[in-house]
Amino acid sequence: MKVTVALRGTLKKLFDGPLEKVVEIPEGSTCNDALLAAGIDYKELKNFGFVSVNNLRVMIDSEVKDGDYIKAFSRVMGG
Amino acid sequence: MKAKILEEKYTAQAADPNQTIMSAYQNRVLRIYLDKQEAVVEPLRMDFAEKYVGSKGLVIRYMYEDMKPGIDPLGPDNNLYFTTGPMSGTPIPCSGKLSVAAKSPATGTMNDCSVGGHCGIRLKFAGYDMAVFHGQMDKPTYVVIEDDEITFHDASHLWGLTSHEAERELIKEYGTEYSCLSIGPAGENLNYISCINCDYYRQAGRGGIGAVMGSKKLKAILIKGTQGVKVPNIKEVTDRIVEITRTVCVCEDTDYVFDEGTYAFLEACNDGGILPAHNFSAATDIKWDTYNGAVMKKYRLGKRGCGSCALGCGNFMQVGDAIVEGPEYETTAASGPQCDIASIEHNVRFNMVVDDMGMDSISTGMTIAWAMEMAEKGIHDFGVHFGNEEEMIQMVKDMAYRRGAGAELADGVKVASEKWGGTDFAMHSKGLEFPQYEPRGSFAMANSYAVSDRGACHMRSYTPNEEVFAASVPPYTYEDKGIVLYNLGESNAIKFSCCLCDLFGTVDYPLMAELLTMITGREWTVEEMAEVGRRVLNIGRAFNQREGFTREHDIVPQRMFKDKLKGGPADGQVLTEEGFQDILDQYYEIMGWDENGCLPQELLDTL
Repeated sequence: MKVTVALRGTLKKLFDGPLEKVVEIPEGSTCNDALLAAGIDYKELKNFGFVSVNNLRVMIDSEVKDGDYIKAFSRVMGG
Repeated sequence: MKAKILEEKYTAQAADPNQTIMSAYQNRVLRIYLDKQEAVVEPLRMDFAEKYVGSKGLVIRYMYEDMKPGIDPLGPDNNLYFTTGPMSGTPIPCSGKLSVAAKSPATGTMNDCSVGGHCGIRLKFAGYDMAVFHGQMDKPTYVVIEDDEITFHDASHLWGLTSHEAERELIKEYGTEYSCLSIGPAGENLNYISCINCDYYRQAGRGGIGAVMGSKKLKAILIKGTQGVKVPNIKEVTDRIVEITRTVCVCEDTDYVFDEGTYAFLEACNDGGILPAHNFSAATDIKWDTYNGAVMKKYRLGKRGCGSCALGCGNFMQVGDAIVEGPEYETTAASGPQCDIASIEHNVRFNMVVDDMGMDSISTGMTIAWAMEMAEKGIHDFGVHFGNEEEMIQMVKDMAYRRGAGAELADGVKVASEKWGGTDFAMHSKGLEFPQYEPRGSFAMANSYAVSDRGACHMRSYTPNEEVFAASVPPYTYEDKGIVLYNLGESNAIKFSCCLCDLFGTVDYPLMAELLTMITGREWTVEEMAEVGRRVLNIGRAFNQREGFTREHDIVPQRMFKDKLKGGPADGQVLTEEGFQDILDQYYEIMGWDENGCLPQELLDTL
């Protein structure tokens, strides 16, 4: 199945230009699998925040389905 | 009006001869007595500086010392404080903020606001750690602080002008080397949600601080300073600060600040389930899921930063003839999703009008959102309705001038709801309107609003950092949240007492201790940073305790317990009274307060 991985906040640089990538991953994959397929290991990023699927925050090990739009946010502070 | 000049030149000595004067402080407190048109300089209480560092902590300690409990916030006994910190005016980045404080007419608590611009640095360069305005004038006045010369001027021609108009007139006359603090019609009319503007585009916003200045008939303050700040070993200090600036301040952690500023929070909060909508009845408004930085940049003329800033969070925006620095996240959320108006053009116009009128954008937006819900529920129609931009902009002006229905809303949601009903969904704590983070999506945020020393504030314990953005603790639980609340509050208390901007980056206790040691010539330890933070939380609570505040005032509106949140990842979430009280118990125990939320005498004695 195909999902889109989009970057937000300070993670925007990670694709070296583009802000999103479409990746192909097996059925039953998680957000983390999608990020890894896009070349992002969140454990290596000290400023990694959270992920959302179709604009709703989920946990990193939540399953995704075909066509999902996954956003990876950096941590933000203050307001 | 005759100008008076300081006649006695100040001689530097410590208030206590046995106390060492730390460098980086000016060791001068300027007290301006408006009714006598006199100014006096006294040494800074170094014992206070050692315990509270500067800015936020220092000013609360001075307020606790200077002011008797029970005074009228709009009477002559309420002092208005402008306080810098030891880092102000040094090469340390993001240290240019100014703490503006007084007893709040909106809450009856202490109230310290942090404002950017250049006024903090200029006050320090004028030779003062703090300027305190006592008493009241009987005629509109503006005061000029220029090094040792303090002059009082007739402001009759400025009274009635908007804040921007007044500032334009003054800067035209005096020049851009002066910083200007001013109030608009809302401050003149003593509105509880009025603010003080600084250098056009920055605000000391909350708690009706503009009304305190208005009660003194003080239209504006101009500040120019030509002096420096003494820092030991300046070459080594500067080299180290350059290194810190490049590695910790301007770094990958903070590049979103320059890129989008606080506008970056909008999409993160929307997806995180804490972007409040429709007067805190829903979260994650679908209309806002595409309002990200790319949309904002279409309207952006450029970037702006405050004095000493290395980050430049400000987005200088234009929509038609509305030109403004902002809107920030808070203003966008309060005037957008909360009022069902999905329009960035509206956000910019609203921002421009509230700044010009001299009103707090959070409290103004939330008061109007409440009025919209009152009309929707058929309780009372103030003439504003969800989704109507023009009604909202007109209402801001009517509130500023206390015209028609605007007069009913001019003092915020607490005063209005106590008269007209709708208290369950009047979103405030202690009389200060909620900022733009939905507690049912980040449970400990309800307690953060409730225990905050000035009423509902997001700059005390910012729990979404842990509960939502880092996902380090689950957002919809109560267990062990007291310590989360405490740790975040302690950290901000010392950071703001150092006078550092919230967006500085990953500034931690070792770094703050190192910076303070470098510039003051006194050894500061990491342990002391925690002690100062705790002490600052305690002195704020002690001030309020003396005013009669206890556990019964640490509350949030019933909507948080009665109405399930609609939409978003926190859909269906609602707080329980038991859970909320449990976090309060945890927090009081950590603070060493009794079960009524009061400091025992032995703790008061340490302050």
